[in-house]
Amino acid sequence: MGIKIENLNYIYMQGSPFEKHALKDINLEISDGEFIGLIGHTGSGKSTLIQHLNGLMEPTSGTVIVDDTDIFAKTTDKLLVRRNVGLVFQYPEHQLFEETVYKDISFGPINLGLSKEEIHERVLEAMCHVGLDESFSDVSPFSLSGGQKRRVAIAGVLAMKPSVLILDEPTAGLDPAGREEILTQIKALRLARKMTVIFVSHSMEDVAKIAERIIVMNKGTIAMDGKPNEIFRRSSELIEMGLDIPQISKLILSLRERGLNINPDIYTVEKARTTLSLLISTKNDKGGNLNAQ
Amino acid sequence: MLSDITLGQYFPIDSPLHKLDPRTKILSLIAIIVAIFLAGSKISYAVCSVFILGVILMSGVPFKMYFKSLKPIWFVILFTAVLNMFLTQGEIVYVFGIKTYIKYEGIYLAIKMAIRLVLLILVSSALTYTTSPIALTDGVESLLKPLSKIGFPAHELAMMMSIAIRFIPTLIEETEKIIKAQKARGGGFDSGSLIKKVKALIPMLIPLFVSAFRRADDLAFAMEARCYRGGANRTRLKQIHYKKADFFAAAIVVLFLGIMIAISFFGV
Repeated sequence: MGIKIENLNYIYMQGSPFEKHALKDINLEISDGEFIGLIGHTGSGKSTLIQHLNGLMEPTSGTVIVDDTDIFAKTTDKLLVRRNVGLVFQYPEHQLFEETVYKDISFGPINLGLSKEEIHERVLEAMCHVGLDESFSDVSPFSLSGGQKRRVAIAGVLAMKPSVLILDEPTAGLDPAGREEILTQIKALRLARKMTVIFVSHSMEDVAKIAERIIVMNKGTIAMDGKPNEIFRRSSELIEMGLDIPQISKLILSLRERGLNINPDIYTVEKARTTLSLLISTKNDKGGNLNAQ
Repeated sequence: MLSDITLGQYFPIDSPLHKLDPRTKILSLIAIIVAIFLAGSKISYAVCSVFILGVILMSGVPFKMYFKSLKPIWFVILFTAVLNMFLTQGEIVYVFGIKTYIKYEGIYLAIKMAIRLVLLILVSSALTYTTSPIALTDGVESLLKPLSKIGFPAHELAMMMSIAIRFIPTLIEETEKIIKAQKARGGGFDSGSLIKKVKALIPMLIPLFVSAFRRADDLAFAMEARCYRGGANRTRLKQIHYKKADFFAAAIVVLFLGIMIAISFFGV
């Protein structure tokens, strides 16, 4: 089960002077229920890679296997693949087209040929998942705010009930509150639906907050693949690739450089706070003892 | 798929034609088109063809590109040729079912028209292949400038043209993105009956229009913010000047036009 990428190659405009080898022999296995952060510099091939996962792009060679079916086999129904693997593009609010939020979200389920009751149920469920209450049903999506529009667009994909959800830069261009909201919803969603989530981003902060496994792409290849702490420990390599490490990792690194004995695997604000406050309080206790003497 | 469309198909190489002033090329194109329409006899067609072959060779653009430029209008050429063949009055050559005849004059006219269309496309392509869209609009603006004295918005027209050309690739990219996004939601664009196909375009067209208007708004805002106010007293980054080669090219074109007029006048 899950997704298996085998020797995937993709070459843009093959045979022309603009030829570009965008994906170089990618091999990857993603098991059910994983939460993956896919990071990489602009042009590293991450968007190309995710578009192969639901058959929007055809590989030059190699294949992708989702739940034991080769999605590029001639006999495979692409609609089925796209129902299984939901892809939310960057700035998804640009794809809204219907008169009402309800109608727009139901576009996917209608394409799947579901019954009216089923569609109704799915639309309301999807709206609930992204934190839009029923009062939004009859509102025009074009009258909403940027963050709300984006949530409508994400709901449009969720209504297809995919078992794998791929989000391409879902927080791009949102304000801090909007970012936080989307991230929390994705987290909750994954728990509720037990989905596999692939979260594409170049914001290390976002990825550090939610991903359980990080895949780093560089120049069409997979440069790193591992748990967040393993990845963020290799900060110099990341910086060489034009990526950044989370600010907390930077803080911990510079504290270690100054001789503080602290666990290098800390990369979230919460963990850093508890560890550092523990350190400070033990130090203060020592100081207090000294004063008492 | 969509990116195969090459509009404003500038072919960036260095050739004598590339170096010419855009105004020379635009005026020459008009003169040559007039000459093509003057052609009537076999000799005049031969002269025209030879001249345009010369233009193509001078442009340094590979023949393959010129064939490509003919691709979209093959059907039109074929269609007019067939119509000419059947609908012209004259001497019957071949009977094709009831009341359908192919006549000698029809065949002659069909061939002539086909050659005329091909020549027109080829010579226009020679202009777009050798002139960048920006140079082209600069040339148009400069040629229309005298008309601005009588209130014709020459600068504004040229600005509109260059903005339109500038946004073609952007809109193509946007269209591709939207198609993909809707496909990811199970939308189909290439299956079903004609009505279904037309209906399937709605999810693509509406977002495309919305984004086009948004872009237009942003652009207007950005121009406003930089105090853009039309043509008055604006200077250019790239000035266009007539050079020696331009007069030489113009002389050749005038000579060619003269020959064509003479041929049609004396009925050779």
